[in-house]
Amino acid sequence: MKYMVMECYPSYAVLLDENGCFFKAANLHYEIGQMVENPVLMKQTSLKEHRTIKWISSGIVAIAACFIIVFGFIYYQNYMATYSSIFLSINPSIQMDLNRHGTVIGLTGTNEDGIALVEGYDCKGKDKVTVTDELIKRAIDMGFLSEGGRVSFSIDTPDEVLFQEYGVELRSNVAQYLDGKMTVTIEIFNYKDSQQNLTHDNSSSSSALPSSSSSISSSSSLAPSSQPAYIPPPSSDDDYDDTDYGPHNDGITDYNDDDNDQGNTNYDENNEDEDSDDDNDDDDDDD
Amino acid sequence: MNDEHKIIQQVYAAKEDMQEADQLISTYMPFIKTETAKFLKRPPIEGHDDELSIAMIAFHEAICGYSRTRGAFLRYAAMLIKSRLIDYHRKEKRHKNLVSFDMPVNEDNERPISETLAVKDNYSEELVMRDATKAEIEELTNQIQLFGVSLTDVADNCPRQQRTLEACRKVLNYAKENPELLDELLRTKRLPITKLSQGSGVDRKTLERHRKYMVAMLLIYTNGYEIIRGHIKQVLKGGTAK
Repeated sequence: MKYMVMECYPSYAVLLDENGCFFKAANLHYEIGQMVENPVLMKQTSLKEHRTIKWISSGIVAIAACFIIVFGFIYYQNYMATYSSIFLSINPSIQMDLNRHGTVIGLTGTNEDGIALVEGYDCKGKDKVTVTDELIKRAIDMGFLSEGGRVSFSIDTPDEVLFQEYGVELRSNVAQYLDGKMTVTIEIFNYKDSQQNLTHDNSSSSSALPSSSSSISSSSSLAPSSQPAYIPPPSSDDDYDDTDYGPHNDGITDYNDDDNDQGNTNYDENNEDEDSDDDNDDDDDDD
Repeated sequence: MNDEHKIIQQVYAAKEDMQEADQLISTYMPFIKTETAKFLKRPPIEGHDDELSIAMIAFHEAICGYSRTRGAFLRYAAMLIKSRLIDYHRKEKRHKNLVSFDMPVNEDNERPISETLAVKDNYSEELVMRDATKAEIEELTNQIQLFGVSLTDVADNCPRQQRTLEACRKVLNYAKENPELLDELLRTKRLPITKLSQGSGVDRKTLERHRKYMVAMLLIYTNGYEIIRGHIKQVLKGGTAK
């Protein structure tokens, strides 16, 4: 193949081959217009190779990024995202956030005593049972839990099977932990059921104790059976809006309201009943 | 550190501008000579040793192919110079058994071989031909500059893939069959890409990508440039010279 020297520079020459291709080549003392053979052509593959390597490396990086995102998302879903919660109430109220594997990922005191109980406590990477045992131990040490006390668990899980599993596990472990140390009542509730009851109660302006069917077991084997009385999260059982006194009274006296309505207190109902009885007696006397 | 930054800036500027590249090569000529001397194990003689030319083109390649990810420029350039010189040396080894015209006839007769050979009859014709070719090339260089293009740009813009070359040939054939397109090119100093693309059936993007090359080739196919056209006669035939 013959090349025509088209342009000459100190460092290179531009050559034109017989196929109409222009090349840069080493200027081996060429002159413009000269016909040369076997020139030392400038290699231009380096950039192309570099670009190919760049594309390949970009592809690998993109695939790696996809894997990291997918595995990161799975890891987050399994280990870092809150899947279920356990509301522990002794008197201190504590909220335990659990991942899918039942490991505690967050611990919050929901009342003043609860904040005091969890202060300085590290729950990272611990199982719910371990955390519960250690918190009960701390509660005993700090004087929150004593003989005849009550430990309530309200479990918030997305499915009933997990609720059953956690409930049984917590009850047996706590009972085992406290066995021989002291006698306490252990209560376990389904958080959703108790919430539904609470909503229902609020809407109907009447209150009722959560039914025993909403709990796995109303008491532990260590204590006599008792009705569960815990409604998480902390909320008032008393319907303070339903009053017959003060500027917010509704003007309706509910004579049938008694104290068995899940703590919905109407403090004057007995007195009023008594008054009405007295009036009837007076009438009788008059007769 | 600042020197390194400065040279990198110069290299990046040289990538875009050939004058900058030439200036950079002139500035680093001692470095190029040193690298060549390391290979030759003696100082190279300018204008005599091909190795120095090879080292210079390797330095030029280093300018064109350098990116910051490749590390220090001078180390990269030194590596490239060494590799090219080794390649050249291997290539030359194959021709070692051949006798140079400049070699003496024998130990007794120190006249070079070329002087003992009969003078070619057409030598003067060759010189005339070279001058004519040179005139054509200079004319082409001047004309192509009106389009804002240099022959170096054309070399950089020249298609390397056979398929692209075929596409460009199709366009050239179409333009040759339609001389009004060549006239339009000369008149407007712009490549009629749309007409060429529609007429030849070649993708517009291919033409845009190789615009400078197409300008050069179409100019060669206007009036004049018979010698250059004669050299690249294979192009329109569609064959490939070996």
